Amino acid sequence: MADLSVNLGGIRLRNPVVTASGTFGYGKDYLDLVPMERLGAITVKGVAPFASHGNPTPRTAEVFGGMLNAIGLQGPGIDKFLHHKDYMPFLRTVDTKVFVNIWGKKLEDYIEVASRLEAEPEGIAALEINISCPNIKEGGIAFGTDTKQAAAVVAAVRAATSLPLITKLSPNVTRIGDFAKAVVDAGSDMISLINTMPAMAIDIETRRPRIANVTGGLSGPALKPIAVRMVYEAAKAVKVPVIGMGGVSTPEDAVEFLLAGATAVGVGTAIFTDPGVLVRIVDGIDAYLERHGCKSVNEIIGAVRV
Amino acid sequence: MKHQVESQIIANRRIHGDYFQVDFNAPEIARAAQPGQFVHVRIPLLEHRVLRRPFSIYNVEPAAGTVSVIYKVVGEGTECLSQTPADTVASLLGPLGCGFTVPATADVQPVIVAGGYGCAATYLLARRSPRKPVCLFGARTEADLLLVKEFEALGCEVRIATNDGSRGHRGFVTALLEPFLKAAQPRPVAVAACGPNPMLKAVAKDLLLHGLDGEISLDHAMCCGVGACFACVIKRKSDNPDGWEYARTCIDGPVFPASQTVWD
Repeated sequence: MADLSVNLGGIRLRNPVVTASGTFGYGKDYLDLVPMERLGAITVKGVAPFASHGNPTPRTAEVFGGMLNAIGLQGPGIDKFLHHKDYMPFLRTVDTKVFVNIWGKKLEDYIEVASRLEAEPEGIAALEINISCPNIKEGGIAFGTDTKQAAAVVAAVRAATSLPLITKLSPNVTRIGDFAKAVVDAGSDMISLINTMPAMAIDIETRRPRIANVTGGLSGPALKPIAVRMVYEAAKAVKVPVIGMGGVSTPEDAVEFLLAGATAVGVGTAIFTDPGVLVRIVDGIDAYLERHGCKSVNEIIGAVRV
Repeated sequence: MKHQVESQIIANRRIHGDYFQVDFNAPEIARAAQPGQFVHVRIPLLEHRVLRRPFSIYNVEPAAGTVSVIYKVVGEGTECLSQTPADTVASLLGPLGCGFTVPATADVQPVIVAGGYGCAATYLLARRSPRKPVCLFGARTEADLLLVKEFEALGCEVRIATNDGSRGHRGFVTALLEPFLKAAQPRPVAVAACGPNPMLKAVAKDLLLHGLDGEISLDHAMCCGVGACFACVIKRKSDNPDGWEYARTCIDGPVFPASQTVWD
């Protein structure tokens, strides 16, 4: 068995497989189905200072090669997240690293939620700053598609916490390398990408959009080649670790992201298809390394031959 | 406890028209299933799709390890399922969701109100209720009535309404519920309903008008099926400042108290 552990900006993960925010809830929902002690880390669904209803329904639509979603970041808010037994108190009992995804409608929201987590950091390995949700009119992607605004959010969160910071980037930009550099220069310890891609589907019989928000984020296998390209470009642009994600459904997909330069790989929509996929990807990466005579997963990170 | 089971299809057969019954070999799910819960099925012939499809559990035989589902061909997923031969292996998640409350004693008279194949989701409730339910089945027409003999075989009295009058009362099934809403019942009534949303809305309204409550099972498209993704939400009453919240049909439901649902 190869050494699967990776060093993610000083955080040691037992293997490079992490869950993508929004696809694994706050962990507890999958307790019966996924052995947490086999995962590198779990990234919880976005937490804001306030409770949020999210978007009207329907919120999702299946499309060829994936799905659209516009959940709209429904969530309990920071108070409930920190103190209700199903959220942070539960996450502290789980044998894996926990990344807490944070979001806000304005800069002050990011600062507030980061400060609150900074005050009770037990069990939190890192914060993932979401500046790339395509489904929130205020904040969200507005911060993620302007390098100056992206940097401003990261700098403000950096000032509010000493926890390691991951910044999650939007694919809806022309030059991803510029965004990677901007958030790293502003103090992000690492980056994750890609978030979902803004997309649309129409019911041709009713002539109405298939989701109430009209547009939503595309996820799933259709997204993967775009994500691999962007991870490759971002990893070349910065020296910090990259968490690569977008359509990962098989061990081979995960290896592709590692070769493109990702130090860890996020799995999202594929968990809906099959919760068992997470462990299969971990085992499959190991099998790949054995087959290629590698002693450590680190040997293939960024090892694409161009 | 939720299970993921790679389950062999034992039988998959047409009942009549567009209605089918599929029997899975899934012992863990068969043992744990409660009335009104569902299984989330990855349809083998839909491998290019990313989402599972939720189906109410119709019946389980814990000793034999079987889980049965009644479905209607309504789209690509159910079309593919209907063409899946026996012996095929399908991945199941289950049992999932909060189901119907089984009355603790025979002092309670269960009343099942079902529209179309919604009756399938209430079969285990009927089977496990100490006092056999009175079943009020509605359908558009006689050909859409299912499982009447099966419920009668459990000892249930089945009363029927069809929209076109082809069998039983002509009109909506809610008309059959009226006698049970009157105050002077011989014993307390527990109403459980499953069917199309307009029927459930009417049932909920009638119950609340008479100061009663009941349980209704809501159907919704789902993604994860276990509570993680917040795709399958419906509006539920809440004590927050807005007076409502989005609740997940997959984990907070699919069965909700009629008094808690908010109908837009």
